[in-house]
Order: sequence, then structure tokens, then C-alpha cells
Amino acid sequence: MFVYLLNVGVFICVYAILASTLNVMIGYAGVFSLAHAAFFGIGAYVAAFVAINVSSSLIAVLASSVLTAGVLSLIIALPALRVRDEYFVVVSLAIQILCVTIFSEWKGFTGGLGGIVNIPLPEILWGSVSTPMQFFLLALACLAAITLIIGLIVRGSFGRSLMAVRDNESAALALGKNVALLKTLAAALSSGLAAVAGVVYAYYLSFINVQSFTLDTSVLVMAMVIIGGSGTIFGPIVGAALLTVLPNALSYVSFLPQSEIGSIQQLLYGLAMILMMIFRPGGIVGAGRSKRSGN
Amino acid sequence: MSCGSSEATVTAMAATFPTQASSEATGKVLRISGLSKRFSGIQAIQEITLDLHTGLITSLVGPNGAGKTTLFNTITGYIRPDNGTVLFEEHSLVGLPPWKIARMGVMRTFQDLRLFTDMSVEDNVLAAMEPRSWFWQLGGRQANNARREQAAAILNETGLGTKAGILAGSLSYAERKFLSLARIMATNARLWLLDEPAAGLDPPSYDLFQGLLRSQARRGISVCIIEHNLDIITAISDRIAFLDQGRVIAEGTPNKILEDPKLIALYFGGGHS
Amino acid sequence: MVLLQLLINGIQTGTIYALTAIGFALIFGSTRIFHFAHGAVFVIAAYMFKFTFGDLGLHWTVATIAAVSAAVAAGLLVNLLIYVPIQRHEGSYFTVFVASFGVVIVVQNAVAIIFGRGFSAIETHLSNAVEIVSGLFVAPLFGIAMVCSVIILTSLHLILTRTHVGIALRALSQNPELVRTFGLSTRGLSTYAFALGSALVVPGAIFTGAASGLTPTIGLHIMLISLVATIAGGVGSNWGAAWIAFSIGISENLVLWRMGPQWSEAVAFAFLLAFMIFRPAGLFGLAAAR
Repeated sequence: MFVYLLNVGVFICVYAILASTLNVMIGYAGVFSLAHAAFFGIGAYVAAFVAINVSSSLIAVLASSVLTAGVLSLIIALPALRVRDEYFVVVSLAIQILCVTIFSEWKGFTGGLGGIVNIPLPEILWGSVSTPMQFFLLALACLAAITLIIGLIVRGSFGRSLMAVRDNESAALALGKNVALLKTLAAALSSGLAAVAGVVYAYYLSFINVQSFTLDTSVLVMAMVIIGGSGTIFGPIVGAALLTVLPNALSYVSFLPQSEIGSIQQLLYGLAMILMMIFRPGGIVGAGRSKRSGN
Repeated sequence: MSCGSSEATVTAMAATFPTQASSEATGKVLRISGLSKRFSGIQAIQEITLDLHTGLITSLVGPNGAGKTTLFNTITGYIRPDNGTVLFEEHSLVGLPPWKIARMGVMRTFQDLRLFTDMSVEDNVLAAMEPRSWFWQLGGRQANNARREQAAAILNETGLGTKAGILAGSLSYAERKFLSLARIMATNARLWLLDEPAAGLDPPSYDLFQGLLRSQARRGISVCIIEHNLDIITAISDRIAFLDQGRVIAEGTPNKILEDPKLIALYFGGGHS
Repeated sequence: MVLLQLLINGIQTGTIYALTAIGFALIFGSTRIFHFAHGAVFVIAAYMFKFTFGDLGLHWTVATIAAVSAAVAAGLLVNLLIYVPIQRHEGSYFTVFVASFGVVIVVQNAVAIIFGRGFSAIETHLSNAVEIVSGLFVAPLFGIAMVCSVIILTSLHLILTRTHVGIALRALSQNPELVRTFGLSTRGLSTYAFALGSALVVPGAIFTGAASGLTPTIGLHIMLISLVATIAGGVGSNWGAAWIAFSIGISENLVLWRMGPQWSEAVAFAFLLAFMIFRPAGLFGLAAAR
């Protein structure tokens, strides 16, 4: 039972990292991206590659994954962020779909549809991480570190600049903010740190395949951010916990047919998203949002 | 004379731009020449030639649709003109993006305010004081504290001292207008373009407003303000420029402009599309 | 011959995409709402037709009426129950989009629970391909789809250019400021836009069901195409959207000439991604950069 809880704990941490990093884009920069799962995947695949072929040192793997995801996101974001706000969603959607196709087809690097197996254990200073408890602590430590980084950054001037861009881009420009650069930096930060979730995920399961990095996952993470509360530090973590635990909780409700649990779960969080936007756009954690003036 | 920036930024800017003394010597902070812009068949502004004097408040008046806001948009880089030049302290602004123009020292407010509605009042002002886009600002903790103090001072001056922690979106109408002004006061801009900043304010607020503009002008800041209200125009203008149908049809001291019966008729008579 | 076959398939796919895209473009153009739930309306229409025609065995005219009613009702309800309340407390495009997306998820899964997650096809002999010329297979359905599409598009053109409502809708799409200034009084026009736009998914939904089969997730795919088409075609230009959607349909099929099916979706997107990045205003677009 305890091991089961640790297992759930690791997944909550992984998704909390994804949600928190996506929140930098959605909640703070106001840039709506559906490509987050793609960077989750990039992080995981790079981690697997490095761990198997180069070194399974945790530091090395983390560094390579975060850097790769960050740089790739910079390269993509620079041209992509030139389109208008509303259209960036579609661009991110296209990026997500393209990435999934690449994940499925680039057999040499990603193992194609079959994925990558036998990912070794992560090596840290005093040994390797192998027991469920150790993995949980690792995941928790990563979540804590990322929450700290994000918290520091968004509480300071960078956070204010991002929120200014989010709330009123033209006014931000009038005050000297380089909006394009700010959005690009936010994207790089967000995607780079999302790779950390990929690293933990790949190590923990020692097996990854493209199914975990599809549009469904992007949507799930987005739902976590929105339901938990975008634009707050802890909202995404709450959302992640809620939406990770939900399928487990649902399976205890006896009158629901087991085969439909997945659909019911999705239906419920779709419904939650709708109701949230109508009644409480700030999410569970967020305060009721004030009225917005037009852009 | 500049308010709201750290030592480092001020020194850096002074090194790259002409000093205040040189633009005072020529007296013209902004020189517009032959500026034109056409939008799908409509000539919004036409051959506009106008100089703004350093340290003076110039009112831009004219009927609706005369091109006043378009002129602001063109000067500040939101619109690219078809022809013409804009020189700010001898530097050309045409073709630069709005944020670069803002950092050079030309800043504007909007008719619809465009406040950062989901940020606190204090954060609105602080955001205006932190133009750099990197993850941190120069100067470290000391500069940070200095900025916070300055922000508090500005909020007090504009009557928003008690509202520092409140979300900008929850402010009353008058408070929002003052926050818009506070934001630009917090920058180190030397030229302000204000688009109907006082419209709809009650008389006591007007007075506070006028007082603030006057004191900024005394600090060497040049102001150009789009305004319809004759009381405000007569009370604060050092110069008036009259726009109609995209052209500058008159420019000069208030006495000269306001005593011209043709202009008064144009302003009150209206009937232009 | 293979190429010609692919071209014909492409034309059929393209027409379906064009019809759906133009419905979305109409709604987005006149209301500026990112009506992602348009895909959900497509799913509802498709499964309603399948249910009435396939499961209940009713005549195709009855089934079509049922599908159109369901589509229009769905579009109007989403607007009334979701978009309007959100806009009342001045939600941003983001809030509306998220809610719209939520609708897609709800509908997709509701349909999956009711009808199952696998392929459902609308059974009809019309979809059996006939060998016209050696190596070239065309189903009578193709001919019917083409004729219907031409009729529908012509009618749409007439509506948009000859009727008061149509002209008003076009005016709104070309000048979004009007939408904002006239806020409330566009309520009636929005209703027309949603009704008309939603009805336009029906032919595409029926033909897709008959030609290639339905899954609950088909709404998402169609929606992506419509979105990309509307943006690349240029907001404010309904025909631009239709053309782009049509081109995507053709590209998706032509790609099969040289690459495997898993690339056809991606290639269409890659093409449009590059296009959007290098010409953000769209091909025929009237949308000005901000």
C-alpha cells in the first residue's frame, strides 16, 4: 500500500512539474501553448539516450535534457511567437503534432512506436537511485527546486514584465518592454524545465514511448493548470494532484463501468474546465479575477 | 530630472544620448516633418510638420477623426508612416519598434488606458520602472528598494497611496486614469504623449491632474496631450496644435489659436466626418 | 493513375474540409470567438445522422434534418450557455478558448461512452467504389458530394452577398472594431453566424461518415484543419479559409504518393506552419497585424 502511494506520489510530482512549467507560459506570460507534451517527450528521449549511450549520471542527464529542450524551444519560439496571440495556439498545436510524428518515426533515436526500454538507473554522488522511496524523494526534490526557481523568477521583475505582456501587450510595448524577447525567454524557461519531468519519468519507468507525449497529455496538463489556478505558484500543483488522483478515485466508485473510466475522467475534467471558465477563471487557488479591459 | 530609474541606467543613458542641455539649446524635443499615412483609401494623416518644444506642454486639439491618435501611433512606432521623418532629440524614430522608441525616452498613454488589470497597482508602477527583459534587473537589492520607494512616492503623488496592493482592474474610473499617469511618471521618459488623460474626471481630480502635469513640465519633461476639454486646454497649454482631417492647420500660443474665430467655429461647429 | 486517384480522393477530402472550415471562418470572422467547439458540433451532427439513418433506419432526408437540427442547436447552445456568460464578465479570448476546448473534450468522451470508441461507418451502397476507368475508383458518393457542395457553396455565396444578414456578417468580419463598438447589438447577428456556421458542418459530417467512417476524435482533427485554414486563409476572408482547407485536403492525399500515411497529417501541418510564420497576415487576409 505504501509503495502504491509512493508510486502515485512520483506521478503527482512529474505532472506537477509539467503543470508548473506550463503555467509560466499560460498563467504568467499569457501565451497559450498546446505543445508542452512535446517538450516533456524531448526531455524524456534525450534523458534515455544520454543515460544509455553516454552516462547515467543524473547531473549529466538533467543538463543535457534541459539544454536540448530549452534550445529547441528557443529556435521554434523565435519565429512562432511572431503570430498573433490567438493564432499561437494553433502553431503550438501544429508543433505538438509534428513532434509526435517525429517521435513515432525517428526509430534510431526514439525507438519509434516501440519506444525505448532498459533505461538504467540514475547515478548520483553516493550511488544510484533504485527504490520507490528514493525515486519519490528525487521527484519531490526536482519539484521543489523547480517551484523555487519559478517562484523567484516570477516574483521579481521578470514576472512583472511577463504579466504586463499578458495583461496588455500594447501597453507593455509602450513602456519599453521587448515583448517578443520576453515571450521567447518564457517559452525557453518553460520548455527547458519541463524536460526535468521527462528525465524523472524516463528514469522511473525505465521505459518510454510516444503514447505518453501526445496531444492528450498536453491537454491534461493544461487542464491541471487551469483547474488548479493559472497565474499562481501552487495552483498547478494542486491541479496536478487532483487530476492524477482522480482516475484512481473514480475506480472506487462502484456504479461506474470500469471500461469507461478513462472517458468519464476526461469528460469530468472537460466539464470542470468549462465551469471554471464561466464561474471562476482563476481556478481553485486563484482569487476571482478582476474584469479585464480590452487589449 | 528623470524619475524612477537606478543610477546605473541613468548614467548609461546619459552616455548614449545628447544631454538635456543640447536639446534645451535647440528647444525642440520632437521634430516631425512631412508625416503621412494612408489606410485603405483614407488619408489618416497628411504632410504633418510639427515641432514640440522642450519642457513645454503642447495640446493637440481637433475634431474626432482628425488623426490625433493616429499621429501618436505613428510617432511611437505602432504604425509605420508612408512618408516623413520623426526626430526625437536628433534621433530618427521611423522604423523602430515601439519598445525601442519607449526606451529612448518617448512614452505614451492610451485613451482606453490599457492598465495591467490583473496586477496590483504597485506592480503596474514597478513594471514601468523595469524596462530590461532579462531575468533580473541591474543594481541588485539596493536598486530594488530604491525603486519600491520611488513607486510609493509616485503613488502618493497621484492619490493612490492607499491602493498599492489592490488589483488595477478593481479601481474606480478616476483612480484608473491616475494610475495610467503614475505609470508614465515612473519611467524616465523625457517626452510624454498623453491621449485624453483627463477625460471624464471630476473638478477636484482635474486640479490634481493639472498640478501634476505642471510639476512634471518644470522637471524638464515635454508633454503633448490630446484633449477636448477647453478648460484644461486653456489652463495648462503652453502651445496648441490644431489638427483637422489629418493636417495641422494651426500651431502656436494659446492666445493666438483661441482667438481665431475660424478655429473656434471648427472646433465647436464640427460637422466633419 | 495512382496520382489521379489520390487527386480525386484529395478533392473529396478537400471539399469536406472546405465546408467545415468556411463554417468556422464565418463564426470566427463575425464574432471573433475561437469556437473550438465547432469540432464538437461536427461530431454531434455526424453521430446524429449515423444514429437516425444507420441505427434507427430512418430515411436519409429525416436523418439529414435531424443532423442539421442537432448541429444548429448545439452551436447555439454553446454560444448561449457558455460564451455569452463568459463574455458578460469580460473574459479574454483565452477563457473562451479554454471553455470551448472543454466542450470538445466533453462531447468527444460522451460520444465515446454512448457509441463506443471505435470506428463507426454509415452504411450505404453509395460509398462502394466503382471502377470508372482502369485503375481509377470513384464512388457515386463522390459525385453526390461534389454536386451538394457546389449547391451549398453557391447558396452560401448568395446568402452572404444578397441578404441583409449576410452582408452584415461580412461587414463584421472585415471590421472587428465594429464588433467591439456595437457590442450588444451584435447579439442577433452572432446567433445567425452560429446557426449558419454550424449548419455548414452537416454535409461534411455525413460524407465523412459514409466515406471514411467516424470516431469520436474526428472532431478534433477537422477542427485543427478549420483553424489552420481560417488563419492561413486570412481572417475576414471566408473563401480564403475554404481554399486553404481544400488545399490541405488535397495535400494530405497527394503526400501518400511518396510517403506513408502517418506523414500525411504532419506534412499538411508543416506546410501551414511555415506559411503562418512567414506570412502571418494570411494569403487573402484582411487581418492587419496589431
